[in-house]
Amino acid sequence: MNMNDSSTGTPLDLGKWRNVPKLLMGVGGALSLIGLFVNREQFAYSWLLSFMFFLSLCLGSLFLILMHHLFDASWTVPIRRFCEHIAALAFPWMAVLFLPIAILAPDIYTWMHVNPQFDHALRVKQPLFTWWMFDIVAIFCFLVWGVLAHRLRYWSLQQDKTGEARATHRMRRYSGPGIYLYALSLTIAAIMWVKALDYQWYSTIYGVYYFAGSVWLAIATAYIITMVLDRQGILTPVMHEHQYYYLGSLLFAFTVFYAYIAFAQYFIIWNGNMPDETFWYVLRERGTWWWISMVIIFGHFFVPFLGLLRIDVKNVFAYMTPLCIWAWAMHWVDLCFNIMPVLHPAGFAPSWQDVTCFAFMGGLLSWRFLAEFAKYPPYPIKDPRLSEAMGLYHPIPAQMSGAELDQTDEFPDAPPQFGGTNQ
Amino acid sequence: MAASAETTLDLVEAPIRVPQPPAELERTPLVANGRSFGWLSNRVASLIENKAPGWWWVLFSISLLGLGLLIFCMSYQISTGVGVWGDMRPAMWGWGIVNFVWWIGIGHAGTLISAILFLLRQRWRTAINRAAEAMTIFAVMCAGIYPLIHVGRVWYDWWLFPIPNANSIWPQFRSPLMWDVFAVSTYFTVSVLFWYMGLIPDLAVMRDRSKTKARQFLYGLFALGWTGSNRAWSNYEKAYLLLAGLSTPLVLSVHSTVSLDFSVSQVSGWHTTIFPPYFVAGAIFSGFGMVLTLVIPLRSIFKLQDIITIKHIETMCKVTLATGSMVGYAYMMEFFICWYSGDPNEAFHFSNRALGPYQWAWIPMILCNVLIPQLFWFKKLRRNLVLVFIVSILVNVGMWCERFVIIVVSLTREFLPSSWHYFRPTWVDIGTYAGTFGLFFTCFLLFIRFLPMIAVSEIKGVTPQADPHNPLGGAKVPQFVHEEH
Repeated sequence: MNMNDSSTGTPLDLGKWRNVPKLLMGVGGALSLIGLFVNREQFAYSWLLSFMFFLSLCLGSLFLILMHHLFDASWTVPIRRFCEHIAALAFPWMAVLFLPIAILAPDIYTWMHVNPQFDHALRVKQPLFTWWMFDIVAIFCFLVWGVLAHRLRYWSLQQDKTGEARATHRMRRYSGPGIYLYALSLTIAAIMWVKALDYQWYSTIYGVYYFAGSVWLAIATAYIITMVLDRQGILTPVMHEHQYYYLGSLLFAFTVFYAYIAFAQYFIIWNGNMPDETFWYVLRERGTWWWISMVIIFGHFFVPFLGLLRIDVKNVFAYMTPLCIWAWAMHWVDLCFNIMPVLHPAGFAPSWQDVTCFAFMGGLLSWRFLAEFAKYPPYPIKDPRLSEAMGLYHPIPAQMSGAELDQTDEFPDAPPQFGGTNQ
Repeated sequence: MAASAETTLDLVEAPIRVPQPPAELERTPLVANGRSFGWLSNRVASLIENKAPGWWWVLFSISLLGLGLLIFCMSYQISTGVGVWGDMRPAMWGWGIVNFVWWIGIGHAGTLISAILFLLRQRWRTAINRAAEAMTIFAVMCAGIYPLIHVGRVWYDWWLFPIPNANSIWPQFRSPLMWDVFAVSTYFTVSVLFWYMGLIPDLAVMRDRSKTKARQFLYGLFALGWTGSNRAWSNYEKAYLLLAGLSTPLVLSVHSTVSLDFSVSQVSGWHTTIFPPYFVAGAIFSGFGMVLTLVIPLRSIFKLQDIITIKHIETMCKVTLATGSMVGYAYMMEFFICWYSGDPNEAFHFSNRALGPYQWAWIPMILCNVLIPQLFWFKKLRRNLVLVFIVSILVNVGMWCERFVIIVVSLTREFLPSSWHYFRPTWVDIGTYAGTFGLFFTCFLLFIRFLPMIAVSEIKGVTPQADPHNPLGGAKVPQFVHEEH
């Protein structure tokens, strides 16, 4: 790697951290289980918060893979494999983690207690807002994400074996209809699992809102993982400085995109000033939730926006690492702002169960991710765009034509076989 | 080169095998047939240096007639009053704003191509950015006419600007219509600056090739003394990057602001949170539709197939497909949330869109904006120029219908049923709209006649001979070891 800022530092040895995921999983799981019996409602909400956070990560990574294939991108080749592993966690692991939500749904979603005959907002949503449709939606979503993530990874691994164009074409074929299914499933999941907490409220942009935050989180995570794998020497042979630069730029772009979407939603509802929409924000301006909204405005937008404006900082690990970790914190706060006011309308009330559920899911998913990552090559070793990703010149023989066919003054240093005089 | 060939590279710490792409996945060169710098300059400059072809005069005459019609309709409307338009209570916004939004949407592709695609390092943009930028400017000019003349007393247009005056009249900054004034005028100014700055090196080329004193003087005047020195290029590149950065939020903000004209209200079908991104996607969609409509005939007539290759057309089709699908997602969400919200007004409104008296506009809206662009999933269809040309026109038919559906259907079926009526445009509405095509094509035809419609300096930059890492660009052959299997 030819980078100055990002290649400095000793190689990372993460051997001593090897057991951290299992530790997190064990301790977090045990404490979460205690939490279930101590305060079931808080447990259910904390679980939902952590679940939606890690689901963001899986879906954001899946989006990066889909875009890679649809755009025929090259710079994303080295980071594609670990994104595939993260996306593949959506099934079965995220599906398993959804089970407590499905079971505890009556503790989370107030609409499950309400008789639709006496509530207009609920009656019009029939049959979507019924127990069985809630489960069908979940099955549909996990099916879509599972099929997409696993088929894309399967063909990516097939590509490692043969390098044939067929594998590339198959991945593109999955990505075409896949992006539509992805948009549909992510939107309905965001609506049924988060927006439905306030089932009277509606906003057409809500799916895009969750999407924007998810991709933001996935990019920040991809930056950190790329950096760690690079510093361990695993990705170093195929890395080029533009991977960091583009990831940083994409993080910047999605910082703005998220803010744009969040602002559009707030501004239009504020201007319309209709009670069946504004109540959602009124609830979130009460007590300390007001300050959380300020944290989101400044922390989710202004800090990363101003922090990423400079071109050169995107290649500086010491600068980008805290910023990416900050992105994790801000996405968690954002989801908390969306979910928790239903349980704690008086104000922000963090619970130890938020931490234990997060630790358990983080530990479990990291453990599975590391196990999968260790099984396969760390990057797509026979991807046709690998040489481009590495910034290597790919020699395509090209014949000059036109008025200056016989002239070589345009390329005096070219070797003789290309018409120059350089020996 | 064999598909299975691999390269062993020793430049990295641990030698790895770098696969060469299979033949069918090789990147297509952006300039076909390996055209040289000289060929590119000659080809683009010849469009200006040669005599104007007969078809140009025919089209220019027709466009001038259209421009005359616009001037006549505007004069009639200004001298008589806005009552000559078909706007009638409750639809006080009719064709005027429909056409304003339609034209301003078309004006989104140029700056998107020149600014956003530049920042995204999409090098294919170089073949089409100049013509698209020109199209943007002319489309924004057409759009700008409507806000200016719709006020009735156009001599008071200057009240739109916050200029201190004796009557203490101050613009209502809380109105999105005011935001429009600033958004559109800023967008127009920056787009013109961007376009002009990109032209400078090419104007210098035209100056240096000029054979008449008049041309030499005029091109020289506008080339601002460009010498092509290293320092000039360095400053140019920096300025281009900065302008691209400045223009990018403008591309998004203009149509977002236009969308707020509607969405901040409580009118059924207007008040929906997805409007800003949905309008931006729609604008890019219609802009690319218009670029395709213009570029496909031009590349054939001017024999520019080696510069605007079939790959360029395909890529534009893909952008059209992507943005059309985003628009489709927005339509779907509008319908879904209409059902989900249980708002009876919204429910009536959306069923009225699909089944009411304006169904004739809703059906082409869905067909042209969502369903027909799906044809672009197929490579064979993307390469069928006749089909792409037809679809590109349908895209803008669909987008016009969309604006009509949003604006007129909502207003003519507002909350008070006794006010409902069927909107009919007058001959002045139709004449003004037809006239804007006259203005647009007059400007565009003058542009392709007197200015390089391809960014010569930029297109040269994407050829292999401009790449210092390419042997054709002077690089030494890398020390690769090729293995054939």
